[in-house]
Order: sequence, then structure tokens, then C-alpha cells
Amino acid sequence: MSKFIKAFLFVPFIALFAFATNADVTVVSWGGAYTESQIKAYVDTYDATTVKFENYNGGLGEVRAQVETGAVIWDVVDVLPDQAITGCDEGLFEDISAEYGNFTPAPDGTGMIEDMANSGVTNLSDCCAPQIFWTYVVFYDPDAFSGEKPSRIADFFDTTKFPGKRGVHTWANGFIQMALVADGVAPNAVYIVLKDQSGAVDRAFAVMDKIKDDIVHWSSGSKPLELVKSGEVVMAIAYNGRVGAANLSEGENFEYIWEGQLIEQEYICLMTGAPNRDAALDFMIHASSPTSQAEQAKYITYGPMRASGIDIIVAGEPWFHTGIDVMPQMPNTAERLKISVMGDPIWWSDNGSEIDERYGAWMGN
Amino acid sequence: MEVDISTVEQILTTDGIPLKVSLQKTERKNKIKAFLLVLPLLAFIIFTFVVPIGDMLTRSIDDSLVNEVYVKTFEEYRKWDKAKDELPPEAVYKALFEDIAYGEKIKIGRTITRMNYSKSGWKSLIRKTRRQIGKIVKSEELPTSYKDALIEINERWADPTFWYSMSQMLSESTPIYYWNAIDRTYDQEANIVMQKKERRIYVKTWIKTFKVGVYVTFFCLILGFPVAHLLANLPLRLSNILMIFVLLPFWTSLLVRTTAWIVMLQQNGVINDVLVWLGILSDEGRIQMVYNQTGTIIAMTQILLPFMILPLYSVMKVIPKSHMRAAQNLGAKPAKAFTRVYLPQTIPGMSAGGLLVFVLAIGYFITPELVGGKDGQLIGHWIAYHLKTTLNWGLCSALGAILLGIMLVLYWLYNKIVGIDNIKLG
Repeated sequence: MSKFIKAFLFVPFIALFAFATNADVTVVSWGGAYTESQIKAYVDTYDATTVKFENYNGGLGEVRAQVETGAVIWDVVDVLPDQAITGCDEGLFEDISAEYGNFTPAPDGTGMIEDMANSGVTNLSDCCAPQIFWTYVVFYDPDAFSGEKPSRIADFFDTTKFPGKRGVHTWANGFIQMALVADGVAPNAVYIVLKDQSGAVDRAFAVMDKIKDDIVHWSSGSKPLELVKSGEVVMAIAYNGRVGAANLSEGENFEYIWEGQLIEQEYICLMTGAPNRDAALDFMIHASSPTSQAEQAKYITYGPMRASGIDIIVAGEPWFHTGIDVMPQMPNTAERLKISVMGDPIWWSDNGSEIDERYGAWMGN
Repeated sequence: MEVDISTVEQILTTDGIPLKVSLQKTERKNKIKAFLLVLPLLAFIIFTFVVPIGDMLTRSIDDSLVNEVYVKTFEEYRKWDKAKDELPPEAVYKALFEDIAYGEKIKIGRTITRMNYSKSGWKSLIRKTRRQIGKIVKSEELPTSYKDALIEINERWADPTFWYSMSQMLSESTPIYYWNAIDRTYDQEANIVMQKKERRIYVKTWIKTFKVGVYVTFFCLILGFPVAHLLANLPLRLSNILMIFVLLPFWTSLLVRTTAWIVMLQQNGVINDVLVWLGILSDEGRIQMVYNQTGTIIAMTQILLPFMILPLYSVMKVIPKSHMRAAQNLGAKPAKAFTRVYLPQTIPGMSAGGLLVFVLAIGYFITPELVGGKDGQLIGHWIAYHLKTTLNWGLCSALGAILLGIMLVLYWLYNKIVGIDNIKLG
């Protein structure tokens, strides 16, 4: 179908919004507590332009629809790492690698790229700026165990030692990496094994088979906390920020199994043809500075992707806005990084769809 | 009696124009007016219904982009004799090098998303290769052997399976997405073969989707029929109150109702608690009623029930009560009178409700996703997945087109068996 017709279809709807939001930088993110923390950390500390946050449900579907029709209304999009890469490949996001030099260096002068490498990230896409680390982590309510409490990721896959159901999400990412760690693969070697050993995925599925009948599957981020709280499951995989919020703000006392947690990156990317490109880029520079990233940890327990951000938090404890120490809930302390799997979005964007389909078939059997 | 029109004398109006012409004139005016009145609606339907669906159907067979980007490569590729050489000849490598070196970055980027679905790994392979080729072109030292150069960039260029997967992309319009949507794919000779065993998900999902649809329709009918009957036969005052009980949930947000069912059905939920309290279940023997297919069917049945009750009610409302009495007067037992006299008259309502519920059920997404757990991935889940996550819009469109096709077939069957004039929605 011709581009013209599509644009014709889109423009009247878009124009309405465009007039209403004229000249504000529009940032699109996931909503909820995460977006609230972004607004407090980045918008409330920024005067150059008005920045407006909108919510979306993730994925590049809407991004591609806007760029294809030429009716771009968003400026910056908060995306998962494999989508940062795919979006950059597809030209949905603008290549800003030439601007990386202008991004705020660490307090000791280390440039942004190196600052990120210091926390283990070397696969930055050319179109995006760093946001936070979030993780898939196993957690449990210590009161649910009278004797020994689970401490290793292998315990999650061992229902004879720790009977009871497990909460797991309905897609594969995070779970298969944990299965490999539970099977004895060193956390930092998980992706090497996945890349180099042809049977690695089969191996992970074999480990997952052990608890297949004891899994309650969840698909929205608040569910695993409800499952553990209500006693429906004894342990669950969750987004670490949700567990941190329950511990810091709702008086829960959940414990984590940090071993084998999958650390994923989160990026903000500049839309191709963004209506307020320059202002948006300036906001991105602000939002990815070490101080801004540390500021965000006052409101949510997702870790700064820039190593210097963590240093600021450590020096400033108690850092959480309620006056409590935040580091015990943070996924990327130096010790925890050693026992964590660092996500490889490049490998995942190659193999993710095949694995997700396989996982769907596995769940349904 | 037939009248031969030609022999009838022409009737003229007062200004001398033949009546026929004059009538035609006013008629045409009216027709234009009527058309202008529906024009906005027509435009609306074209732009919000015909065009998007047409676009979807086009996308489900369109493979022109990859053919545009790799035009030279594919030309050489077709000449490759796979029986003779394990790897393609130098000319294919050279063409590929040039297509990537001088192609538009964005177009190449877009093709790799599509290619990756044929074989996992294309994405990073092309991305890396494009970067390295860019460096080679900049250095102005073109390689003597393009084959060696590419294999040096990435050893996957020496892996024939990548080259074989290219055979799926060779024509500008392709049925491959439809084959993918039923777990089939092409082998290296472009024969249709089954998808890898562990990747076969769609046939199973289609079956699951229909199973849920049939169950939900069946339970809606079983539950909806007596309610609609009661509504139609109670005195107005009572039936109005009862109607509110049907409509109130109907007006409540879908998410609220779905979540409410989780609260009711979960292992530490209301129903299990009551059963344990009554001593019917032991504390360990709590039943798993949610995060599985049972939960999906229960929640969807309750949510779609009004779509069954309302058409049934509107049909039952107009069936005269005297019919049943007359049948019984003539000697039919109540059961016979019901099956022979009442039931046949409700068929239009049952079929309208049934069709409505079934069509809504097979396209359902959010409720099964939330209460279905591992069984909650109906076909809608995979459509959303490919739309948002993998950006494989071809497969996404093919799945949608099949869903549309199935509905059209159902409609056609229905028209054959029951007759579409028998449908009654209100």
C-alpha cells in the first residue's frame, strides 16, 4: 500500500495530538512506578524544556508504525536492549554515536562508553543512551521456610529439597539462563555456552523439565509478588525493582537469590524524525548522566548502568528517599555482578523468537 | 394481465416532459442525496476497515523488500547448483558484498528482521558483515576473493544452512508466512517441510484456540438459555431487576472482571477457602482452578455471557406464550412441547449468540493472558508477539488473515445451514 494513503490515514489523528503537545519533548516509557521514578529523577531536575512522559506497552510496533507513515509524534522511547539494537538496524532510531562524546563523563573524567564498560556493558547500540539495569531475580518470603532457606539458584530447580510451586513468567528470557547456572555453568559463561555449544538450549530445557509441573506462570510484573504473598508459590522469578519496592515501601521482608540473576539493560533511544530532536537529545544527555542515574535509585531499585552512578549512591547512603539504605536491594553491587548473568541482547535478538516459540511449545505440552 | 408498455401512450407532465423522464430526474436527485448522506460512513468504512485489512492481507504475502535489497545476490544465487557445490560460487559472494556495501542501511536493517525468522542468526551476521564491509570499502582495497573475505569476516558465511535458508526469500510474493503459521517451512530445495520439532507451536495453538472457543460458546449457551428464558417470561418489574444483573457486569471493565476471577479461583482464593472451611477439601488438596485452561474458560464464559443472553432474550421475548399452551392443549407433554415448539423458535437467537460468542472468543487476548498461565497463549498472543517483539509483520498478518478466513468460512457455513436471514441480534 502506498505510503501516501497511510500518511493520509494517520495524519488527522496525529495532528490533533501534535498541536496539543507542541514543542514539549515527549518521552515514552513503561508507566507505573518506573515512569514515576524517571519523572522525579530526570524531569524534576531539568529546566531546559518541558518534558512529558507517556506510557506504552513496549515493543517496536508503534515506533515502526510512526516512522513508516512519517507521522512521528514521539521523541524518545525507553526500550529493552534487543529492541534498541533492532530499532537501530531498522532505522527507526537515529544513529547518535557521533554525539557520544558530548554525553556527561563520570566525576573522575571517564567517558560514558568506558564508564558503561566498567559495569560490564560493551554492546551499546549506536542509537541509544543508557538508563538502568533491571534483572530477573528469584525471591522468596523467608517466613515460608521453617528450616533451611534457599540460597542458590539450584534450589529453585530442586523441588525435593524445597517442595512447593514456583512462579515463572510466560516467556523464556531469564529462565533459561538461570537453568544453565543451576546446571553448573558459571554465570559469566552462560552466553559463551549458549553461543558455542549447540546443545546448550536443550540442556537448559532439560533442567527446566525438572520443575515443569510445579510452575505457576505469570505474565504481568505485579503477579509474582501476589503469588508469593498469598502463598500460592514458595519462590518466584520477578523483576528486581518490584521486589525492592515491596521491601522498601510496603514493609515486606522478601529475600533474593542473587546467584544466576539475569541483568538486562534498559535504553532510551531517539526516534528517527523526532519532532523536537535537539531538545530531546539534550534531555537524553541529562537523563543518562551519572548524577541523574543515581538520583533515580532514590525512588526505585533499578541500578544505574553507569558504574560511576553506583559510586555516588554508595557515598550518599542512606540514599532511598525514605531515608533507608538502598544498596542491599540493588542488583549490581560488585559482589552481585560476579554471580550474575549479564544479558547479551545481540545474541538474544538473533535467537529470541526461536526460543520463545520453543518455550511456548514447552509450556503447552 | 400483461400490458405491452410500448403500445401505451406516453404520459406527459404539465410542462410537457414525459412523466417517466421527470420521475427519473427526481429519483436521481434523491439517489445522489442519499449517496451523499452515506458518503462519510462509506469513507469511514473504507479507511478504517477495507484499507487496513487490505494492507494486512498484502503484508502477509509481501516479500519485495528483501528482493529489492539483495537483487544481485538473488540473481546469482538462482544459478547456484546446490547438488554440485556445497557453498555458493564466488559470484554470489561478490554480489552479496556489493548489495550490502552499496545498499541503503535502513533497508538492509529492515530485511534482517525478516531474514532472521527464516534462520536465527541472520541479524547479527548481516549487521557485523555490513560494518566490516563498510571498512573495506573505505580502505579502497577491494578483496581479490570475496568468498574468502566474507568468510574471514564471519565464519557463518561458510555455513551452508544460512545459504539454504535464502531459498525461502527468492520471490517477491510468498506463501511462506502462511506455511509458517501452520508450522511448515521450506527446505533448501524450497519444498514444504515441517518446522523443527521443538518449534512447532502454531497448529497446537490454533487447536487450543478453537477448543477454548467451542467450550466457551457451549457453556454460554447452557448458562445463557435459562437466564434469557427467565428474563423473557418474568413480570416486567422482576425481569428489569434481573436485566440489571446481566448488564452490570457487561458494563464493568474487562480487567476488573478478569482480576476478580483470579481472586475467586486461586488456590488461596475465595472458593478454595470456602471449600476447605466446609471440610470438603483438605488444606493440602486445594484445587488449581486458575492459571490453566479451566480458569480461562470460566472467566471467558462469564465475560462473554451477555453476548449470548441478549440476542436470546430478544428472540424469546416475542415468542407468544400461547404457543406452549396450545401445544400442551393438543396433548404434548411439557418436554415435547418445549423441544418441538419452543426450542425451534429460539434458533435465530441461539445462532446469533453462538456466532457472536465464538468469534469474540477465538480472538480473545487479555483474559487468557492473565488467567490462563501456561495455557493462556491463544493465537492472539502470538499475533501480538510478532507485532511487537519480533516485528515479523508478515507472519503476524498471515495469522490474522487465517483468523479472518476462518470467520468467513464459519459465516458461509452458517448461512448454508441456518440461513443468515435467521440471525437476530435484537
